[in-house]
Amino acid sequence: MSLLGMFWNQTVCLLQHFRGRKNRCYSLAVRAVRRAFVYASKARKAKRRSMRQLWIQRVAAASREQHMKYPALIHNLLKCSVALNRRVLCDLSITEPRSFQSLTALAHARRTEGLRAALGDGAEPPGVFSRITQLQ
Amino acid sequence: MKYGTTFSFCWSGGSKLLLYHYSHVEVKFIKCFFKMSSFSRSAQQWATFARSWFLIDARMQPPGKIASMCSVRLQGKHKPIYHPLSDIGDHVVVMNTRHIAFSGNKWEQKVYSSHTGYPGSFKQLTAAQMHKKDPTAIIKLAVYGMLPKNLTRRTMMQRLHLFPDDVLPEDILKNLTEELPQPREIPRKLSEYTQEERNAFPMLWTPNVSGSPGSASIRHNPLTKAPLSE
Repeated sequence: MSLLGMFWNQTVCLLQHFRGRKNRCYSLAVRAVRRAFVYASKARKAKRRSMRQLWIQRVAAASREQHMKYPALIHNLLKCSVALNRRVLCDLSITEPRSFQSLTALAHARRTEGLRAALGDGAEPPGVFSRITQLQ
Repeated sequence: MKYGTTFSFCWSGGSKLLLYHYSHVEVKFIKCFFKMSSFSRSAQQWATFARSWFLIDARMQPPGKIASMCSVRLQGKHKPIYHPLSDIGDHVVVMNTRHIAFSGNKWEQKVYSSHTGYPGSFKQLTAAQMHKKDPTAIIKLAVYGMLPKNLTRRTMMQRLHLFPDDVLPEDILKNLTEELPQPREIPRKLSEYTQEERNAFPMLWTPNVSGSPGSASIRHNPLTKAPLSE
């Protein structure tokens, strides 16, 4: 079993689309394949970062539609012990807009709690189910 | 990917109807109360990914704020289905760009520089000169600088439509779907306040202008300059 044969058998599926002689000539192909593997390893780590960035952008867009900013939404959901992560929030904002609207309403109510206690008449905000909990 | 199955408040532009007044540009919309879930899947997809046309009035607005609103909508960052590769930006029409309002002394101090590459062709123009030469250039440059610096920027700039006055062509008027609220609240001029509002304005003590120090000071209403009787 020749090493050359082994190389081409194992890598032909992934270097078919390379440009120029990198898809035909052994010396160039070896280097190109090694770089491709390195890029793929780095990208597997970067993929998690870029997915989270995309989730955050989408949740920010959806919350701005509900007249709330992303940092305010996240901080107030945290204060309410709503432990939904960005991935789930992003999916809700796309496929369950009403649920997302209620989450923003909850965050808004928690955000304005201090102001309402100071200025308001002590009434519960309409549509928000609240009870006092101990934060974990 | 599934799409939102609720109706008209949802962000897709497909469920809004429009009325136009042709005397001056005023866009109203009536929400249509039918469910997008009654559409077929392909119709839902079409409605979700449809490109909207936004209208912004730039009269008495800071051009940077207008530009940031434009850039957000041109990229599609106002939509929960945003992706940089998806090309889901919308069209933005800005009118009255001739009447933008820089704050501070930027009309004289802000400098737009350009160089064509040939020797001796370094040009520097103040914002006032630039605006006189081309009333849409300031907002155009501002939006260009705020968009992501990649190949999609040029396509996004093509979807930005700038008009110096509020005269818009017919085909663009027909496409408009939504008017965005202005970012800055325009302060009223003194002449726009009624006499009752001026009288009701909280009064400050002013020292007696006509008399010598030590004499009884006559308090004046600073807005109307009429002496107040005690």
